[in-house]
Amino acid sequence: MSDPVLVRATRVSRAFGGVPAVDDVSMDVRPGEVVGLLGANGAGKTTLIRLLLGLLPVTAGSVELLGGAPDRERRRHLGYVPQSLGLYRDLTVGENLAFTAQAYGAAPAQLTEALRGSADVLVGDLSLGLQRQVAFLAALAHVPQVLVLDEPTSGVDPLARAALWDTIREQADRGTGVLVTTHYMQEAAQCDRLLLMSRARLVAQGSEADIVGDTAAAAVRTDDWAAAFAALNAAGEPVMLAGRDVRVADSDVDHLRAVLAAAGIAAEVVAVAATIEERMMVLARETPGAVG
Amino acid sequence: MRAMIIKEFRELRRDRRTLGMLIGLPLLLLVIFGYAANFYVSSVKTAVVGPQATVAAAALPSFFDVTVVEPGDGRTDAETLLRDNTVDVVIVTGQLPALALVDGSNLFAAQSIVSVLNKVGTDKVTTEVLYNPELKTSWVMIPAIIGLILTFIGTIVTSIGLVRERETGTLEQLAVMPIKPSAVILGKISPYFLVASIDMVVVTVLGILLFGVPFNGNVLVFALGAALFLFVVLGLGVFISTISQTTGQAIQTAFFFLMPQILLSGMIFPLDAMAAGVRWIGYLLPLTYFTMISQGVMLRGASLTSLWLPFLVLTVMAVVVFTGATLRFRRDLAPGRRRGADTAEIVAGTEVPSAS
Repeated sequence: MSDPVLVRATRVSRAFGGVPAVDDVSMDVRPGEVVGLLGANGAGKTTLIRLLLGLLPVTAGSVELLGGAPDRERRRHLGYVPQSLGLYRDLTVGENLAFTAQAYGAAPAQLTEALRGSADVLVGDLSLGLQRQVAFLAALAHVPQVLVLDEPTSGVDPLARAALWDTIREQADRGTGVLVTTHYMQEAAQCDRLLLMSRARLVAQGSEADIVGDTAAAAVRTDDWAAAFAALNAAGEPVMLAGRDVRVADSDVDHLRAVLAAAGIAAEVVAVAATIEERMMVLARETPGAVG
Repeated sequence: MRAMIIKEFRELRRDRRTLGMLIGLPLLLLVIFGYAANFYVSSVKTAVVGPQATVAAAALPSFFDVTVVEPGDGRTDAETLLRDNTVDVVIVTGQLPALALVDGSNLFAAQSIVSVLNKVGTDKVTTEVLYNPELKTSWVMIPAIIGLILTFIGTIVTSIGLVRERETGTLEQLAVMPIKPSAVILGKISPYFLVASIDMVVVTVLGILLFGVPFNGNVLVFALGAALFLFVVLGLGVFISTISQTTGQAIQTAFFFLMPQILLSGMIFPLDAMAAGVRWIGYLLPLTYFTMISQGVMLRGASLTSLWLPFLVLTVMAVVVFTGATLRFRRDLAPGRRRGADTAEIVAGTEVPSAS
């Protein structure tokens, strides 16, 4: 028997002034899994989350939270950390946690090691990393069945980011379904399953390996990376920059060499494994199509 | 510098509220100070009572707009007419000199009446100013200032408090929490209601102690009027918060609501002295009616019955404004009810469609 679905979107669309922000998206989240919702800024991730939480009405399709419409009663079993964190900056850590706990009828969360001694500190005086920890504590105090995190590691240093992912994994291990958005593609590996959004549509889903598949990429190494980038871009190649390395996804190495030679740019072009970011770029260039 | 100027104009062109202030405010001030800023009352509502009432009424100069002529009435009836704010002055005939009872709570009208009657001569009429015998400005201003303080807290402070939830993103968190929208709204508004009530008591007591303003009426009638008025101004504050995305916008918008209340409610310039075209604006403002109640109760000891009109208007305003505003705010907290609404995100407070 399959696990019950905690969150489900069925052919959901949402438009603003006729412009689609989420277009025909179907997806689900099951207990104990961490589902990563990836996409560039403007891909539709936050809008999809707001639709799933019932904070925005759908234009078409339907959403389910814990087996029904995302109403107040079902949201009682939800933990949500929005991009803005949803904390009162002019209240202390303790006061914020007490308010949230009281709203959910739970006991206030215990402070983590990093926050110990900060109960009386105003949230606005904490570093962003610690503020995110407080937001996590507030969202987890009532032991939610579903945890929705919108860009939870944005602006956080790598160590704090790792600690937050530890917390996310712990929640999943105890059976919570986690839906997390991020635009850090390297965080994709932390997720059990990925949903890739581009231009309001769900363009791929599965594990990182499933999504990247056999997509090839080329790395162009040259001193004149700016000229190489411009030449390849002008040739219509899906070109990206990784530091000073110019990378091109899903393109023939010999063709790239020819383009660069024609532009008079001395460069070394080698075939490399594509990253999920490059796969996403390729998908975005293709005709959008819902796969969920 | 040229680039800076062009950039500034482009921003200004798109900032409709600021543009509205820049264009609308000078026009508003021109209209107000052109047509409303007038301390001189050209005509006063007058009653003439006593045996020679009919003859005396016919002999009065046109300054006295005689609306009541009651030959059978005496001084007691005259005081009732003044207490109920039916007229500004009552000429009591049947004695020589006749007695003119003047309502001192209507300061500018009273000053004009006293001035005109002094010219008539004390051998023909003696003047007695009731409710504010020394025609002190503080006595009529303090009851109005109580209303102004309530307006300030109700509109500006409340709207800022609510908009801050939207600005910081906590409104979205509140929408997700299992708290009923009505509980959120009441929870947000109650502290302001309480603080405004305490302010009102403090200002009233200080007005009495420091300025000797009398409190002749029933405290409960005053409290009822203040409560109704608070609901109206709190409703305005909530409404402003629903049409503002930032604290700055809320303050700008509240200013638009506050300014006419100060200038056109009769608090500074007497309504009777305003041009008819502007006076009707004053009659749309809640502070106009609260001032009628506060001055009526404190100075004249007016009863609920005699103040039925301002109470009725404030009740209607309270129901319409407070209900409408809280329903609008509720929609922000429970947007899922508006299926298929093709608008920008409400909870997030962003007018621009966000697809991030």
